Amino acid sequence: MGLISGMLMGTIFGIALMAGWRQMIRYRSSKRVAKAVDIKLLGSLSRDDLRKICGDNFPEWISFPVFEQVKWLNKHLSKLWPYVAEAATLVIRESVEPLLEEYRPAGITSLKFSKLSLGTVAPKIEGIRVQSLNKGQITMDIDFRWGGDPSIILAVQAAMVASLPIQLKDLQVFTVVRVIFQLSEEIPCISAVVVALLSEPKPRIDYTLKAVGGSLTALPGLSDMIQDTVETIVSDMLEWPHRIVVPIGGIPVDTSELELKPQGKLTVTVVKANDLKNLEMVGKSDPYVVVFIRPLFKVKTKVIDNNLNPVWDQTFELIAEDKETQALIIEVFDQDVGQDKKLGVVKLPLIKLEAENTKEFQLRLLPSHDMLKIKDKKDRGTITLQVLYHHFNKEEQLEALEAEKKMLEERKKLKEAGVIGSTMDALDGAASLVGSGVGMMGTGLLAGAGAVGSGLNAGAGIVGSGLGAVGGGLTKAGKFMGRTLTGGQSSSKKNGIATPPVNPAQENCNT
Amino acid sequence: MPFVSTLMGFTGFGVGVSAGLMIGYYFFIYFQPTDVEDPVIRPLVEQDSKTLQDLLPEIPFWVKNPDYDRIDWLNKFLEYMWPYLDKAICKTAISIAKPIIAEEIPKYKINSVEFETFTLGSLPPTFQGMKVYVTDEHELIMEPSMKWAGNPNVKLGVKAFGLKATIQVVDLQIFTVPRITLKPLVPNFPCFSKIYMSLMEKPHVDFGLKLFGADLMAIPGLYRFVQELIKDQVSSMYLWPRTLEVPILDPNQAMQRPVGILHVKVLKAMKLRKKDLLGGSDPYCKLKLTESKLPSKKTTVKHRNLNPEWNEEFNMVVKNPNTQALEILVYDWEQVGKHDKMGMNVVPLRELKPEEKTVLTLDLLKNMNTEDAQNDKSRGQLEVELTYKAFKEEDMAKDEGSSEVVKAPDGTPANGGMLVIKVHEALDVEGKYHTNPYARIIFRGEEKKTKYVKKNRDPRWEEEFHFVLDEAPINDRIHVEVVSTSSRIGLLHPKETLGYVDINLADVVSNKRINEKYHLIDSKNGRIQIELQWRTSS
Repeated sequence: MGLISGMLMGTIFGIALMAGWRQMIRYRSSKRVAKAVDIKLLGSLSRDDLRKICGDNFPEWISFPVFEQVKWLNKHLSKLWPYVAEAATLVIRESVEPLLEEYRPAGITSLKFSKLSLGTVAPKIEGIRVQSLNKGQITMDIDFRWGGDPSIILAVQAAMVASLPIQLKDLQVFTVVRVIFQLSEEIPCISAVVVALLSEPKPRIDYTLKAVGGSLTALPGLSDMIQDTVETIVSDMLEWPHRIVVPIGGIPVDTSELELKPQGKLTVTVVKANDLKNLEMVGKSDPYVVVFIRPLFKVKTKVIDNNLNPVWDQTFELIAEDKETQALIIEVFDQDVGQDKKLGVVKLPLIKLEAENTKEFQLRLLPSHDMLKIKDKKDRGTITLQVLYHHFNKEEQLEALEAEKKMLEERKKLKEAGVIGSTMDALDGAASLVGSGVGMMGTGLLAGAGAVGSGLNAGAGIVGSGLGAVGGGLTKAGKFMGRTLTGGQSSSKKNGIATPPVNPAQENCNT
Repeated sequence: MPFVSTLMGFTGFGVGVSAGLMIGYYFFIYFQPTDVEDPVIRPLVEQDSKTLQDLLPEIPFWVKNPDYDRIDWLNKFLEYMWPYLDKAICKTAISIAKPIIAEEIPKYKINSVEFETFTLGSLPPTFQGMKVYVTDEHELIMEPSMKWAGNPNVKLGVKAFGLKATIQVVDLQIFTVPRITLKPLVPNFPCFSKIYMSLMEKPHVDFGLKLFGADLMAIPGLYRFVQELIKDQVSSMYLWPRTLEVPILDPNQAMQRPVGILHVKVLKAMKLRKKDLLGGSDPYCKLKLTESKLPSKKTTVKHRNLNPEWNEEFNMVVKNPNTQALEILVYDWEQVGKHDKMGMNVVPLRELKPEEKTVLTLDLLKNMNTEDAQNDKSRGQLEVELTYKAFKEEDMAKDEGSSEVVKAPDGTPANGGMLVIKVHEALDVEGKYHTNPYARIIFRGEEKKTKYVKKNRDPRWEEEFHFVLDEAPINDRIHVEVVSTSSRIGLLHPKETLGYVDINLADVVSNKRINEKYHLIDSKNGRIQIELQWRTSS
């Protein structure tokens, strides 16, 4: 009897013990899970959450901007800045100098840093935003502002002119840097980093140029040239969709997915323009149109003299890299002795286009891309375009990539040839720049086949003769020549691209 | 027989308890799922006031304290990255643990130990605020408040004596406030050479440890005991002021300290190619170390000589013998215009044996591009003698740890010592007409000056001055003045005082080292950072 009751009691006790333990386990487990949930929730609070928690005692100092503030990072940065500045100087020298070399305009034979120090004012990070736009990628936008006091002196060498030191002063950089981290499943978990400047809001890089111990007028057109170079570098290297891809951590990964690649082909027919503004004193404007997506690959129509309602009916092919963010930029100029005047510009975002569907657009010309600065609302006329967007398949893409590479190489050669030609052509110091421009044009003409080439032909001739007229050696001529030169230089630049018309032809053969 | 009955009762109880435990175990624990489920997370706005009440003790620091910064962006970043991080960490952990386990198990007669599951769960660590301390020293201090309440699931299957046991760790929670100090700061990326980490408080640790599916940590009392044990263990290692030191950069390389000297003797050149149209060339050599900012050294010019003999010696400071190289360029001197390059060559210092004289005969090249066809042409040869001498260890150790107080050099009086004044920088100094500040230090009538910095309101000098004294300057003061000179030779406003400060030296003598920012008198907001040291021979 005792045994059975004992066993019964024991069993009940045992089960009770187990049940109690389990209860305990459950209790502790649920407590831990609840805490985990709390911590997780508190890890990303929004304004409403905080209101709910704090009620009336909402702390005043807290705000929730889209870009989260990082005061602590700025504190560190300002302390670390002297060291960062020194370390960065070396890196910049090494990475930017080849770039300057690549993008340097034709009139300059060498462009180098002679002094580079980043000053004492640290940049500020106004805010950081983290998103995950694609799977396996983290997108970090950094609102970056720097109004520093760097001392940057460029040694500019133009043909036959000894090295001229030019100082970049009052540098201000306001931009949003987009950093994309490509994730991987190996430590350090990031296989590549993509850096670019966000194009919207547009990066603002302001500076003033000053010649050390002299004035910029000594080398006419130089400041425009440098500004042009900087702008081209920024917009063609850094501004989204252009990007810099840095593989990290020694893991061999295929970064080609991240690189910018030709995505499609744009066939643009510049049909006509109506009611253009007349900028000439005598007669009417002589309009021509420059069309491009990347400033590196500009194409140009022929010049139609004395006409405010010109009809061009010329077709060009351009390569688009990113339909989502890129835009077709159309600039109408008035061909003129001296610098060509801008009659109007307009932007056509590619996202408006449908693939494989020719669309006609009639666009109103605006005085400038920057809508903030536009004051006059005067009508500048319209331009009519026919645009066809063709999306590449894999093979076409590769082909286009190859063609692009080839073109760039060819252009490099042209540039060298142009420069060499210029030094030989040059007769005296001041005229050397002119020489280079003309030299460039010569080569450009040689290479330039097709309608654009011939269109430029006339333009180049005019510029050349214009220069000839000025070349007399008037003391005042310097500045004027500067203008002329920039004109010559910019057209020579376009001239250098005289290969594009050839290129589409090749493509046509291929496809 | 009450005795037998009681005995039977006890026996029965004993048997019953074991049976009950077995039944209870199978009933309540064994058949319960052991998988860790992802907790359901509802948005905060939907929760009732009771859960909110429970939340209150965990409110992040940045909500409570204005001196903490919110870093939710970092949390977001971690959240996106966590799945990848989880896999990477688990993979590495397993690959590290496996060989260790394989080595250890034969000792304990265990057949096998295997990870059945290993995951860190879906919840990433979160940072609930970041605090930064700004000091006058060359260091960065930050204190993130890290909280990880995760749902990891680590399941270990142990086989021994034909039995299989599973040990499972779940719901690991670690809350801690580490202090991370980055120092010393160096002018090389990533700009600091060491990371110091220590915990400011004992960390909070909680987890569930399941053996055969039953959570041992739920046994009353055991959890507290284990938690205390872990806390004590961790804090004995890392609780402040104990620190964990992680070196990032090699200190010599980081500080860019010189590590050796290269003696170069330029002997002669043979058969140089003629450059000048008339007469012979006028050759001279330029020597430079790569990665060095020092100006290059030049030999004399030997006029009209294509086989010049120089026999000139130079000493060059080497900072990194593994990557640096000696660059020798031969130029043709010209009275007017640009000097023509006659040829060049580069000797990597790696190829030199330390402490050994090496005579090299170098072919002069057009450039260092090996494929350039122009290099096939003979441009002559250059003979140099090179010796690389590395500094000895004790020489280098001398200036180790610049922030610590060093002993005074030999020859200082017994009772006295050396007063070191380091003028680091000034902030917000402004002159009425010009701001080209330099600092002037007056001590016992002796005056010393720093260099002047052009047009700068926040000049950084980083200059050091020494005064050797016979006795401790207990009753003395130094006078530090920031002065601006006109950059032009201006008669109108030649000099201007931007502010001054008098510092009592008694504190320095008793503290040995003081590094502080002083407010300048006669200045609006000006401050100056001065480091004072009193070095005695004893």
